[in-house]
Amino acid sequence: MKLVKINEDNCVYCHLCEVACKTEHSISKDIIKAVKKENVLSRCTAEFNYPYSASIMCRHCDDAPCIFACQNGSMHRDERGYVVVNQDTCVGCWMCVMVCPYGVIKQGKNNNDWDLSVKCDMCPDRGIPACVEACPNEALTFEEL
Amino acid sequence: MKYLIIGNSVAGINAATAIRQNDTNGEILIVSDEQTRPYSRPLLPNWVIGEVSFSQERMFYRGNDFFEKNNIETLLGKKVESIDTKAKIVSISNSESLSYDKLIIASGANAILPKNIVGIELEGVYTLTNIKGARKLKENLDNIDSIVIVGAGLIGTKMAFDLSKIGKKVVLVELAKRVLFPALDDYAAELVQAELKKNGVEIILNDSVVQLNGDKKVSEVVLASNKKIPCDACLLSVGVVPNTTFVDENIRVDRGIVVDDYLKAFDDCYAAGDVASVYDVVVNIRRPIPILPLAAKEGFIAGLNASGALIKFNGGFAMNSIEIGNVGFISMGLIESDDDEVLEYKKDTEYRKFIIRDNRLIGVILVNNVEKAGMFNWMIEKAFDVSWIKDTFLNSDFGWKYFDKAFRVLRLDRKLKG
Repeated sequence: MKLVKINEDNCVYCHLCEVACKTEHSISKDIIKAVKKENVLSRCTAEFNYPYSASIMCRHCDDAPCIFACQNGSMHRDERGYVVVNQDTCVGCWMCVMVCPYGVIKQGKNNNDWDLSVKCDMCPDRGIPACVEACPNEALTFEEL
Repeated sequence: MKYLIIGNSVAGINAATAIRQNDTNGEILIVSDEQTRPYSRPLLPNWVIGEVSFSQERMFYRGNDFFEKNNIETLLGKKVESIDTKAKIVSISNSESLSYDKLIIASGANAILPKNIVGIELEGVYTLTNIKGARKLKENLDNIDSIVIVGAGLIGTKMAFDLSKIGKKVVLVELAKRVLFPALDDYAAELVQAELKKNGVEIILNDSVVQLNGDKKVSEVVLASNKKIPCDACLLSVGVVPNTTFVDENIRVDRGIVVDDYLKAFDDCYAAGDVASVYDVVVNIRRPIPILPLAAKEGFIAGLNASGALIKFNGGFAMNSIEIGNVGFISMGLIESDDDEVLEYKKDTEYRKFIIRDNRLIGVILVNNVEKAGMFNWMIEKAFDVSWIKDTFLNSDFGWKYFDKAFRVLRLDRKLKG
């Protein structure tokens, strides 16, 4: 099962991965609307602590603690084998956040509806994840881990 | 091979899943006194106030096709009366009996009914650990204007906020000096208390209920301090006790069913979830830790071991994630100590607290900046040496950036699970 490999030596903290992720997970699929209007949460997070920088996202663990922690089965493994959140059933209780050893699950606050856990879903509608394709320096690559 | 599982909730279902993964042909039967499709217990307070319904998929623990897809049989609405672990037979209501090769007890824990409270049999007294209790409260909700909630734990505090939100007059009575006593310290609890009060909840601390008065139905609650509170209803949420009445003398019970590191209680008999006394790695004792993620993991490991594996359950510890109004927190382990190293950070509405003993993290409280909580959970679970990184814990932007490169790469490449 291929995953996103993080090669921190190549990362220059350009945030293109985040922009690509937001666009891919937006409704409009438009870069500016995704960032400025829809305010999509990026599933990967670029971080910086000179000279280190890297973009971090879900590792799709084999024994994913988030799946055990989920109170109503929203967090599950899909047919591809990746760990994904069912956005129709997630209630935003944050128990997955509480157990994720990588700290890669975000709290998607929703004023009009249930809050939702937000995390990398390995771009089900794409061949190569958006972040990998957007990275100019192969700081993110798509390979067996 | 006949696998029999008592209990159709988190631990039982994960046990069945693990067995089926390990054993494609064995017969798996889940017996439960509940009739419903497995549901999410944490959502019961939301259900009571009408935020979610049983016609929505989010109310349920697994999909509608779960049992069929996994070839699991269920026998619902049947209460287990007794177990004979020598003959390997479980007796259920109406003198039916079920034989087994391997048994997993996942019967959970239910609301404590304090025997010392006079008048507890009056109408209008509710509990909320299962659908039966929740249904009783929901059915009478329209006739309730004011309610006294006894016990400001996770269920009591959440219900206090929710019921006040829909316009009920709520008085929350707690024995300890703060709400959420085992989960929060004084400072964090005060943040929650302020939020509760802001939303109309009256809080009475350092007090307890000794008597319920009323003519057939409760109309007044009397506290140990002699305060008298008029009300239409009383919710008892003072804790849960494991359901173990049906076990025989071969199964040891302290507070819960005593199990070894493999979750085994006796020959061919395992226990998991709220019913089981497991090893608490933070406080170093065996006790039931009635927390959903642990019940799932325990159930899964018990299922693996019942079907031939030999996997240790390395123990767990208390962990909680709650949102009360605008105050959201995640806490785990030991949350206050006079004898250990304590790191604290307070700014605006953010609070970070870490308790460290022998350079191992043993407790965490995070308020309003909780997204990295799981990283600390991992450190507690693995007894990770934090001496080299603890001085970065208080940073609001704590994360992988503060780790050393070698360790970070090993972890992120999934080479090191700990």
